[in-house]
Amino acid sequence: MASTNSSLRWKHLHKVLTKPGPFSDQDWVPGLETISALETSKILVIGAGGLGCEILKNLALSGFKDIHVIDMDTIDISNLNRQFLFRQSDIGKPKAEVAAAFVERRVKGVRITPYVGKIQDKDEDYYMQFKIVVCGLDSIEARRWINATLIGMVDPSNPESLKPLIDGGTEGFKGQARVILPTLSSCIECQLDMHAPRPAVPLCTIATIPRQPQHCIEWAHQIAWQEKRKDDPFDSDDLDHIGWVYNEALVRSKQFHIHGVTFQMTQGVVKNIIPAIASTNAVIAAATTSEALKIATSCNPYLDNYMMYAGEEGVYTYTFEAEKKPDCPVCGNLARSMTVDPDMTLQEYIDALGDRPEAQLKKPSMRTEGKTLYQRFPPQLEEQTRANLNRKLRDLVENGQEIAVSDPAYTIDFRYRLLFK
Amino acid sequence: MADAFPSALTGPSSKERKYDRQLRLWAASGQQALEESRVLLVNSDGPWSSQSAGVSGVVGVETLKNLVLPGIGGFTIVDPAIVTEADLGVNFFLEEQSLGKPRAAETCRLLQELNPDVEGSFQSKSITELMRQDPGFLAQHRLVLVSGPMKRPSLDALCKAASELNIPVLYTRSVGFYSTFSLQLPSLFPIVETHPDPETTQDLRLLNPWPELAEAASRIGDLEVLDDHQHGHVPYLLLLLHYLGKWKDAHNGNFPSNYKEKSEFREMVRSSARTSNPEGGEENYDEAVAAVLKSLNPFSLRSSTREIFEMEECKNPQADSADFWIIASAVQEFFQQHNVLPLPGSLPDMKAQSADYVSLQNIYKSKARKDVEEVTNLVRRIESQLGPRPGEILDKDIEIFCKNAAHIKVIRGRNIPEIDGEAQTLKAICNNISIPDSLVPVFVAFQVLDNVVTGLQEGKLSSGSIDDEVVWDTEIDRVLFALTSDDQSAVDQDARELILEATQELRRTEGGELHNISSLTGGLVAQEALKVITRQYVPLDDTCVFDGVRSRSEMYTL
Amino acid sequence: MLKIWSMKQQQQQAENAEGAAGKKKKKVTAAQLRVQRDLQELTLGSTMKMTFPNPDDILNFTLTIEPDEGMYKGGAFHFSFNVNQNFPHDPPKVKCTQKIYHPNIDLEGNVCLNILREDWKPVLNLNAVIVGMQFLFLEPNASDPLNKEAADDLRQNRETFKRNVRTSMTGGSVRSVQYERVMK
Repeated sequence: MASTNSSLRWKHLHKVLTKPGPFSDQDWVPGLETISALETSKILVIGAGGLGCEILKNLALSGFKDIHVIDMDTIDISNLNRQFLFRQSDIGKPKAEVAAAFVERRVKGVRITPYVGKIQDKDEDYYMQFKIVVCGLDSIEARRWINATLIGMVDPSNPESLKPLIDGGTEGFKGQARVILPTLSSCIECQLDMHAPRPAVPLCTIATIPRQPQHCIEWAHQIAWQEKRKDDPFDSDDLDHIGWVYNEALVRSKQFHIHGVTFQMTQGVVKNIIPAIASTNAVIAAATTSEALKIATSCNPYLDNYMMYAGEEGVYTYTFEAEKKPDCPVCGNLARSMTVDPDMTLQEYIDALGDRPEAQLKKPSMRTEGKTLYQRFPPQLEEQTRANLNRKLRDLVENGQEIAVSDPAYTIDFRYRLLFK
Repeated sequence: MADAFPSALTGPSSKERKYDRQLRLWAASGQQALEESRVLLVNSDGPWSSQSAGVSGVVGVETLKNLVLPGIGGFTIVDPAIVTEADLGVNFFLEEQSLGKPRAAETCRLLQELNPDVEGSFQSKSITELMRQDPGFLAQHRLVLVSGPMKRPSLDALCKAASELNIPVLYTRSVGFYSTFSLQLPSLFPIVETHPDPETTQDLRLLNPWPELAEAASRIGDLEVLDDHQHGHVPYLLLLLHYLGKWKDAHNGNFPSNYKEKSEFREMVRSSARTSNPEGGEENYDEAVAAVLKSLNPFSLRSSTREIFEMEECKNPQADSADFWIIASAVQEFFQQHNVLPLPGSLPDMKAQSADYVSLQNIYKSKARKDVEEVTNLVRRIESQLGPRPGEILDKDIEIFCKNAAHIKVIRGRNIPEIDGEAQTLKAICNNISIPDSLVPVFVAFQVLDNVVTGLQEGKLSSGSIDDEVVWDTEIDRVLFALTSDDQSAVDQDARELILEATQELRRTEGGELHNISSLTGGLVAQEALKVITRQYVPLDDTCVFDGVRSRSEMYTL
Repeated sequence: MLKIWSMKQQQQQAENAEGAAGKKKKKVTAAQLRVQRDLQELTLGSTMKMTFPNPDDILNFTLTIEPDEGMYKGGAFHFSFNVNQNFPHDPPKVKCTQKIYHPNIDLEGNVCLNILREDWKPVLNLNAVIVGMQFLFLEPNASDPLNKEAADDLRQNRETFKRNVRTSMTGGSVRSVQYERVMK
């Protein structure tokens, strides 16, 4: 592996991997083993957009050799001002494939495996193969999903099941990078209130007393479209649809003597466009990949655990430790294994739960991902699930399946992995 | 009316679509400034020694990437280096076939692929040689980026030449897990569009309404006779004006001025809301109550604006003054006459009937227009007094200035800081070095590195290696000596220790770059470049240090 | 990297030795868990009923409100609730599935209730939404309507409005709009 060429080529990187520094851990053993640990670390990149393109480049030039990337999107013209692996001629092609091929072509010896699709398409077996997951996403929902998935995968008896999650996000001149060690440190769900909800205008203002150009656009998008083009699914990527909304908004704005409706604003409101530039993406992406390198090699301490950045006025960063919430619905109460007799009825199981030492669940409701096992309230649902009480566990859940239990006596919920005796 | 309605559907051009996500930050005017700019990147200045190739210039190329993508007009790369094997492990804008070729040509070619709108050229010579051969070379550029460490005489000559031409310089070094960069601006760098937080920019004039606004408030008359619907839709701004009138009547014509009085006033507004309606309250009253503490402040000039008004350039503009100073001078005169700045004219959204809101908005807009007219007349008068200038100041620029007058900013440019440079730099370093978590020790370590490189390149240091222990120890001592020449206690033992640690971390890569740190720094530097070129937002004043070990940064005025 | 791993081992004993089984099975999502809890904490009066077309899918259900007082007494009003996986960051989507005459509900079934939109917060629960919905039928609000005609009627003449409500509820037309019969 360490041919003359390779050691010449990677000489700057290899220096920090073969030499301790004043801040690297005292127990750390630099050298070939560290280099080979890096080169064999399989790493997953979620998102091949503004952050993802940068992340792929950075990982390839940080010595990672086995990189995977997931993205479901195709390339749009408005990506070209920052997603530097894409060209005019790539418009319409899947981002993950084009990005992977480009970086593979440019950086010799790196293998990048693209997957075009949703992160939810993949199961825990898939995520289990990676050492580290780096996220460059613009959706809170996707972040919450991967966060919960990685936390659910942690198995205390198997250290390898702990997958550090490094998350980046940007908006205009601002951004943040954070390191999450599932179950050990503050998670995305713990930090959910740091994501401001999208500001919304009352529906009645839009319907009756518009005052701003945005109100006219929302009216055209949400009310006029429903009334006039009910059977035509609205597509925010279809310029004709945006054009229609723009025209309707314009007519309404004239009616109310409101100024300022433009095509650009229409697009911004309808698609909830967040400004994005190459430079902010570069900062945040590199912040995440720098942490990936440090975690994979221990060559320096990693971020603990949050860095925010704002560039409107000078260069401002704030690095701090976000706190783990004890009552976090995702990492606050991890699944416990529970050995059960598969032939006991659900009613017998519920009775047994009431005697558990960690929590006496007297009035539980419970479900699996696909099935409502028993729901105490509302009455209609209680009635619909009552029959389950007399059924055997083996007929309701699979061996090893997880159930989630809520009980009014506790503000936190419980998860149990049921293992058949 | 000035802003007529667009008549037909006008979809965006393909250029507007490509740049859509950034136009939302700096608008067409910022984009135009970018497209009119040519940026010079000085990406290395020759080998350091027989054993070190010199700066690999990743941070420079990464910075340019972030400027080519948003569409600067053009760039020139000056770089005498030849592509080596080590370059390929750290620089994304080189490929296998680039080996052995001039790095300037190869990076130029691959950067240009990113955006066909951008023109790129290159020079495989040293900047010193180039400036000697072509004295007009530097002047073709709007901004200079320098990838260091660069030997002192080259850097000094370049910065001096740029300063004489009023061209800003960004000097960057990225080594191992650390980076630092400094911005050298012209001696005065004014910014009109600083893009402050919209929350802080509201100027509603509730305590000193102009006649039309006062009249609108008096028109609402007796609130009691309004039906619930009308009562719940009086814009909160008029509610506040209405109750302020009542308050004044009861308080010898005085406004609520301190916290206690404002709280009392707030209670007066709160208790006037109707609660017997289906909602059990009124949104417009809620808005009024929420606005009391932040909106009932007498107008006061921000100290930064006051400083600008007091500057010689503003008090006595000359025929060759920049437009900024002439408009500033007119606005200052306006302020002297009225004790307020021109009204920005924007109105926040508030609960109101459409027509009522629009007519209130028009009151603000027409007052703003009137103020702009007044300032324009003052500008024209000053222009005629000054005699011939290159061209009349654009109406549009006066209007933008008036809208932003409360938040204009002037940065006093400083030279690229050097320990052996100006006294103020030395003083600022000493003042900041012992603050807990200070990153000044890292900056000092970079100064040591600069000295080592200068010594090696000039042959003053005999060793062939950048990582020679003796060489570093000597240079650390020299820098420490300079720092403590006036005051022995300026650098305490802890600070010495921190400087030493930082030099050790710097030496780990023997002056080499790590891609992540250079890419991150390239993002930060590009951000500053964009702000300087568009003259929007507020650039760094003047040095940033990034610590990739602890993932944090600090700004210093050095 | 090894450090993180050993931290984990130190922190927790091998309490769950058999944890490996079931790794592949899908887990209850955060949204499902929250809805399970919210449903359990509901207080439904006699005027409200919930229907779950698929009892295993608790994210999609129908709420029926049967006011026992006020102008809408005697009607049965159906609302579809659609909770997405981003709940409670996103509010539930609620629509009236009938065409009814109400100032705060338009003919498409959109509902104007502040906590369904601008005032939604993740700390709010389904009960808060249901209470708000119930209130709409006790105190229809004319001040900022979705159905402007209905609001004008309510503002101008409460008695006319009441009559129109009755007409519409029995499937009649008001101002040449035909409404759906919603009587119990």
